[in-house]
Amino acid sequence: MRATFQAFRGNAFRCRPTSLVLGVGLLLSGLILSGPVMAAAAPGEAKLPQLDIQTYPSQIFWLIISFIVLYLLVSRVAVPRISEVLEERQERIADDLDKAETLKKEAEQVRGEYEKALAEARDKAHAATREAQEAVAKSGAVLEAEARDKVTVMLKDAEIRIAAARTEAIGNVRSVARDVAGDAVAKLIGIQITGDELDRVVSSAMEGRS
Amino acid sequence: MASPVEQFKLKSLVPLEVGGLDLSYTTSALWMTITVIGVTAFLTLSMRSGRLVPGRWQSMAEMSYEFIANMVRENVGSEGRQYFPFVLTLFLFILFGNLMGMVPYAYTFTSQIIVTFAMAFTIFLAVTVIGLYRHGLHFFTLFFPSGTPIALAPVLIPIEVISYFVRPVSLSVRLFANMMAGHTMMKVFGGFAVLMGILGVAPVLLLVALTGFEILVAVLQAYVFAMLTCMYLNDAIHLH
Repeated sequence: MRATFQAFRGNAFRCRPTSLVLGVGLLLSGLILSGPVMAAAAPGEAKLPQLDIQTYPSQIFWLIISFIVLYLLVSRVAVPRISEVLEERQERIADDLDKAETLKKEAEQVRGEYEKALAEARDKAHAATREAQEAVAKSGAVLEAEARDKVTVMLKDAEIRIAAARTEAIGNVRSVARDVAGDAVAKLIGIQITGDELDRVVSSAMEGRS
Repeated sequence: MASPVEQFKLKSLVPLEVGGLDLSYTTSALWMTITVIGVTAFLTLSMRSGRLVPGRWQSMAEMSYEFIANMVRENVGSEGRQYFPFVLTLFLFILFGNLMGMVPYAYTFTSQIIVTFAMAFTIFLAVTVIGLYRHGLHFFTLFFPSGTPIALAPVLIPIEVISYFVRPVSLSVRLFANMMAGHTMMKVFGGFAVLMGILGVAPVLLLVALTGFEILVAVLQAYVFAMLTCMYLNDAIHLH
């Protein structure tokens, strides 16, 4: 008896044994009491077959039996079975919904991971490009600086050489001018001018020109 | 030609007498037995496989279950749970009784006033006992709802008392009269069809329409009976 009641779970309707006893008692008393009440209401001999009180005891008797039998069958056999099937379906649907929810979450997670990986790859590619560009720019600058330094050095060397050549040339011009001047003076006026005198005159003449 | 109400006469199938009372197994009892077997078969055979996706019969059994479950839940509330098997039994018993009665040569036991009155009177007694058991003497406030002006009491209380005690009569007579009237009318039209010979086609056509209408009445009256039972239960449990 207990076991059958345990079958009512969740949404199923519950039926307590006490209420069952009470219900059956009421049913019986109601059915038995209804006989005299109807008998009092109906006239003894009527044309309508339904008002023939002779048939009342048998009908009430068989109604009691069939209704109680049906009540027991419905409440003990049919209702637990149907509620069980309905609950099973409810549970199954809830389970399936849960599963779908889990799968959806999983898919969502995978998608998130994929997008993250994609973003990372994109960042990496950007970084690599930037690095390469920077490296190229750096090496270019280094080469340029080296070239500029070399050119500067060469320029300085050239300037030094030019200055040296000029000094030498100027020196040569001075000694040639001294010799020419000494010789010219000796030839023209027959005076042998000493080295110091000649140097002074040549220098003043050259300074005057320049 | 037999009287149209002769169909309601009971035939004794198995004579039985206990203590001077005639308890014979009659046609009425036979069709009650058939109804019990039919309802049980309908509810159990259809659910035997208990499929996750129900077939036709299983769907119908589940729908009857849920229909009455919702009726009880909506009209009585969660306290009505324990009365659910009773309301379901009552509904299916009357429904099958009414529908079986539509089968030619079948006997409609719900066209017997004593049967409907016995059921209605039992419900009336049960509801009164449930009300007294739950609320004690407070139950009698059912006859005088709170918030009503006291001046109305002399008028309202008799009206409420009368309407309360008339319940078993109205409940039983409604079902009995509907079933009896329907079957009498069909018998009358059937009689016409026989009497009119070739012209009897007209009443037969009418009879076809009437049969459909009677099936509607059969279902509707079972519904009304169960629904009113729920409402009376609600009154007893919640006092309006």
